[in-house]
Amino acid sequence: MHRDRQKEYDVIIIGGGITGAGTARDCAMRGLKVLLVEKYDLTNGATGRNHGLLHSGARYAVTDGESASECIKENMILRRIARHCVDETDGLFITLPEDDLAYQATFVASCRKAGIRADIISPEEARRMEPAVNPALIGAVRVPDASIDPFRLTTANVIDARRHGADMLTYHEAVGFVVENGCVRGVRLRDNHTGDVFETRSRVVINAAGIWGHLVAKMAGVQVNMFPAKGTLLIFGHRVNGMVINRCRKPANADILVPDDTVCVIGTTSDRVPFDTIDHLKVTPEEVDILIREGEKLAPDLAGTRVLRAYAGVRPLVAADNDPSGRSISRGIVLLDHETRDGLAGLITITGGKMMTYRMMAEVATDLACRKLGVDKPCLTAVTPLPGSEKPVDKGHTSHRAAEYSTHAQEGRHGTMARTINADSIETRALVCECEDVTVGEVQFAVDKLHVHNLINLRRRTRMGMGTCQGELCACRGANVLCRTARVEPAAAERDLAAFMAERWKGARPVAWGDALGEAQLTATIYEGLCGLNRLCGDGKEIAL
Amino acid sequence: MKFDSIIIGGGLTGLTCALTLAKAGQRTALITAGQSTLHFHSGSVDLLGYDEQGQTVLHPLDAIRALSASHPYHKVDDVAARAEEAARLLADAGLLMDGTTDRNHFRLSPMGVSKPAWLTLNGLVRSAEEDSLPWRTVTFANIRGFLDIPTEFLVDNIRRKGTDVEVKSFTTPELEQARRSPSEMRATNVGKVLADETALRRMVEAIDGLEADGEVILLPAVLGVADARAESSLRQLVDRPIRFVVTMPPSMPGVRLQTCLRQAYQQLGGMYCASDAVTGGCFEAGRLRYVTTENMPDERFYADHFVLATGSFQSRGLMSNYRGVFEPVFGLDVDAADDRGAWTAEYVYDDQPYMRFGVRTDERLLVSRNGVRVDNLYASGSVLSGHNALKLADGSGVDMLTALQAAHNILKK
Amino acid sequence: MAEEIQKKSKSAFNFEQCLKCSICTVYCPVSAVEPDYPGPKQSGPDNERYRLKGMEFFNESLKMCLNCKRCEVACPQDVKVGDIIQAARIRYSTHTPGLRDRMLANTDIVGTLAHNFAPLTNFALKLAPVKAALHGVMGIDRHRTFPAYSFQTFEQWYRRHETEQRRFDRFITYFHGCYANYNYPQLAKDLVKIMNACGYGVRLLEKEKCCGVALIANGLSKQARRQGETNMASMRKAVVRGEPILTTSSTCTFTMRDEYKHLLGIDNDDVRDSLTLATRWLYRMIEDGKLRLAFRDDFRMKTAYHSACHMERLGWIPYSTGLMKMIPGLELVMLESQCCGIAGTYGFKKENYERSQKIGAGVFKQIEEVDPDCVSTDCETCKWQIEMSTGYDVKNPISIIAEALDVEKTRRLNA
Repeated sequence: MHRDRQKEYDVIIIGGGITGAGTARDCAMRGLKVLLVEKYDLTNGATGRNHGLLHSGARYAVTDGESASECIKENMILRRIARHCVDETDGLFITLPEDDLAYQATFVASCRKAGIRADIISPEEARRMEPAVNPALIGAVRVPDASIDPFRLTTANVIDARRHGADMLTYHEAVGFVVENGCVRGVRLRDNHTGDVFETRSRVVINAAGIWGHLVAKMAGVQVNMFPAKGTLLIFGHRVNGMVINRCRKPANADILVPDDTVCVIGTTSDRVPFDTIDHLKVTPEEVDILIREGEKLAPDLAGTRVLRAYAGVRPLVAADNDPSGRSISRGIVLLDHETRDGLAGLITITGGKMMTYRMMAEVATDLACRKLGVDKPCLTAVTPLPGSEKPVDKGHTSHRAAEYSTHAQEGRHGTMARTINADSIETRALVCECEDVTVGEVQFAVDKLHVHNLINLRRRTRMGMGTCQGELCACRGANVLCRTARVEPAAAERDLAAFMAERWKGARPVAWGDALGEAQLTATIYEGLCGLNRLCGDGKEIAL
Repeated sequence: MKFDSIIIGGGLTGLTCALTLAKAGQRTALITAGQSTLHFHSGSVDLLGYDEQGQTVLHPLDAIRALSASHPYHKVDDVAARAEEAARLLADAGLLMDGTTDRNHFRLSPMGVSKPAWLTLNGLVRSAEEDSLPWRTVTFANIRGFLDIPTEFLVDNIRRKGTDVEVKSFTTPELEQARRSPSEMRATNVGKVLADETALRRMVEAIDGLEADGEVILLPAVLGVADARAESSLRQLVDRPIRFVVTMPPSMPGVRLQTCLRQAYQQLGGMYCASDAVTGGCFEAGRLRYVTTENMPDERFYADHFVLATGSFQSRGLMSNYRGVFEPVFGLDVDAADDRGAWTAEYVYDDQPYMRFGVRTDERLLVSRNGVRVDNLYASGSVLSGHNALKLADGSGVDMLTALQAAHNILKK
Repeated sequence: MAEEIQKKSKSAFNFEQCLKCSICTVYCPVSAVEPDYPGPKQSGPDNERYRLKGMEFFNESLKMCLNCKRCEVACPQDVKVGDIIQAARIRYSTHTPGLRDRMLANTDIVGTLAHNFAPLTNFALKLAPVKAALHGVMGIDRHRTFPAYSFQTFEQWYRRHETEQRRFDRFITYFHGCYANYNYPQLAKDLVKIMNACGYGVRLLEKEKCCGVALIANGLSKQARRQGETNMASMRKAVVRGEPILTTSSTCTFTMRDEYKHLLGIDNDDVRDSLTLATRWLYRMIEDGKLRLAFRDDFRMKTAYHSACHMERLGWIPYSTGLMKMIPGLELVMLESQCCGIAGTYGFKKENYERSQKIGAGVFKQIEEVDPDCVSTDCETCKWQIEMSTGYDVKNPISIIAEALDVEKTRRLNA
């Protein structure tokens, strides 16, 4: 445990998504005493439920020049400071016969105005660069889009925050505020494993809880007008495309296909949903339908590719303060100083924005916190590489040994940190997850360095269980390795395994047809039929969070 | 080519049926598109493990009578007689199994869960009671570095049954060599390494060297692809009683079931096509005249009778797409929900409706196509609709008994 | 539109259909004996996903794959595991084949040279110093016995007898392959004997090149593609003449029917159905009542049939064994289907020799237990391996048929 209940912090940050993690890093780097709290696991919210797209900004160039400029600026920064999280794929904006080719000129002009390089290329050139692209395209523009792994990015920020002295509590939920004389002086936290509730004090609290920030603010008695916008995405079984493929038209549903590590992701839909659904989002058949239908237009091969999962995240859309109806929505960064806005000192809300502009959001929130605390230190996050990204990892050498696959996979996941993974012995080189090449050594590394206590933590930090079989072989091995390395009690690990498989099924169920249904049955045959895991999971129907 | 009967599918169902028909003197062909789910098998054959309320069944024959009308057992004319026949068939194929239809015993799963079973391969852990094992103390001796048995869970659950467990691990030069592969130290590859006599002798020495305190030594079931010879010599050579625990897939006991049944069938002269997919057939006057296959596209396989034993979704005996569930070989009528939302249940261990989907058959196990019965095409085993084999723990029993029933229906004609 | 969604469920070699059941690993002859080989599942569908991400995920350990296709035979999901591995080698390998590999791969060029100096070659290949030099300099294992080279190639023999073959009014076209041409023309002559007795003349292809299986295995796929195109062009002419193209090697047949299209991208759709093993053609002709064979009354033989890997993959074992079962005096014992370990040129390389023999050990043991008069198999490289490793004679089913055939009676039956 990285906390001391008596310790008084300068800042408590609520929310273990990318914004909270980035803010914790920035605050800690400026010398503040920081506690980051998250009600479940890191990246459990919208951070882990988006495209993983490092926007060039091109998508917003026509409609929102300001966002576009923010994007390209952060895009270039993240390529430097988070290189191990970024796959420099570049992107295409394609025009299909049904689209208006005239839009392309407007698009390119707007990109250039926002400082985004945009080169018109011929359809032949586009087909050559990206063989998966719809061959019927009539126009293409190449832009500096890329893919970025939000799990790794968040983990790297947390690691660096902790290196700079920050404390972190996951599975701890803010259930109230400590308010003294109209001033927020701390947070009441509930341990979501044990149910214990306790107080932790700080001089400033930063609400970085994404859509849940609306509810956090409400607990403090202030109103932030957020509107949950649900976005659904589909993961396909392998990387169909090598470049990001977008539609060159006004942003619409399901018009971005992103290659993310070993898979590719199509999304999103966008629908306003009520607040009471945000913890239990369900993917509808209509959403799946539109995603596949539109996805096939970007890359026809998707028609022959297994869909692994469907998932949905909630974007926090923030209404302008003078418009409680929510008709005028900003997609930009929203920083609220509740002292000046609502007369509640000590509370800051940082919201809006995008996953990939998290650093900028963290910077403005930390600037404000520093002003309140009278600290005058410059922000260095734009120039200081994250752990793992200190220098590029050398690829390309080959030893022709079976174990080499996992070395490359690990370098891809952890950058320079992969060097500390123990691959010296037969034991540590043994594979746990065969689809994603996760070794026993990597699990050990994740337990030691990446804040891993259960299987879902392990999945998000290593990709174990994220491959084709969705945990069929690896989850059981992983659970047993965790018993030894993370000292999880077997009975707890058995429940954890059952809950983990339930979580995998939750994402597979909306797309359970074809090979995915066969895979689900095989997995059930092994875990339920052969092993009897269902007899070890209790009656709670628990789904891992 | 012309046969008396052609069996499509080479798992427990197909082999049981083909073997029975070949024994009866029929000229048979078995055509299978690859290997079967026996590779994930527990090494135990179940008849009925749980009733429809999820309660453990001790007396399977009684409980079978209480099953819902849709259950395939109701198409088996004499469950007790067929069960005896199945047990004989296994024994004749060289598979020594323990158990009776009078009372279920309990097998031990890789995670240490006791599951009801009817017959269990000799040598695997077995107990009379669900909540206890027949020993006060056991030593679990794992092969060093073998990840395909969840040791922590196994030990935890054995302890919960009131048996003390001592955990040890051992290795030999041959096993150390096999362990160099990060991914291939699987039960079956370990078994191949230990097929060598020297390697087995070194294993015996290593186990003896453990100085185990348990009344019995439990080992992961990694020995013997085709027979129990290695298991028996180990049990003779080690100075302590030995029992085996089935591992995560691939399952050595399952592979042995597969191998012994196939060999028994081939020894009777049955034609065995190991890797051919039936692509379709010619239906005439309510009968299937012949089938065609992928590898022999211009060949017509004629037979008087056909048995479909292609398994469920995981074996591609049933398939589904965005629109619906279908039987891919002949497009037979299936019992399945139209609406995709009704295929599955929300929680993973709930009763999943798709598990009950399958080919529709009449009381004689004859299938239908576009609502018309096919008079010489039977379906057996997991391709049948009407029960959830995981919830009832009746999968292997349904496979074998419906296979035998189909064979009998054919022979009666 | 909605009903069209996700209907085409085919990825390249169906690798998306892999359910990760790991059944293929049970039947891989290599991973059973070689811990440095990642196994079919890892090498094939698992890491194909990674290879789509980056070149660095290609690994030369894939060359340990025998290309026996037993993974594909075992796969219940129709994943072309072996094709995925071989295609990855073709696509990503940067390894340039050395002299040894080129020599082993170019079976026809080497065959021409060797046969021209056959007495010398055969003599030299048996000498210890030559073997040592091959082992040390070339990397060809010293334990290997080279197949003897014939004094007269089958093609030379055929040219002398071509006029006799023209006298028939029905013909088959024969793809003899390198082995029957350079090493063992008797097999080809056996086929001619059977065909002639059945009333068929034998024609050769206008231009026959080595099928290329060894070229593919040794990383020379471009050359293999060129030779394949040449073969296809010649075969098309036979197809136009309405003749079947018969073979006596399961490996050549498999390569030309399946690997041409899957690995080399050669369009063989118009030829594929006409190209078949002679045993299969005979069996089907007999079953259709179009042809009859008569066998000698005094013929007695006990043979153990070894299922060559590519024969297993073709799924045609019932034809060869079914044909042999027609011989009244033949006792046929089926060996358990396992790889013998040679895999063409694989077992000749000194780095593979030990592995090759370990893989084959199970087959050798079975043969010794059965103790037949001879072993029968449809593959010539299995023949070398089994003969070298067990001392038993190995015969192609065609040779056994020819030996058992009552030529006169057969001729009369088919007149």
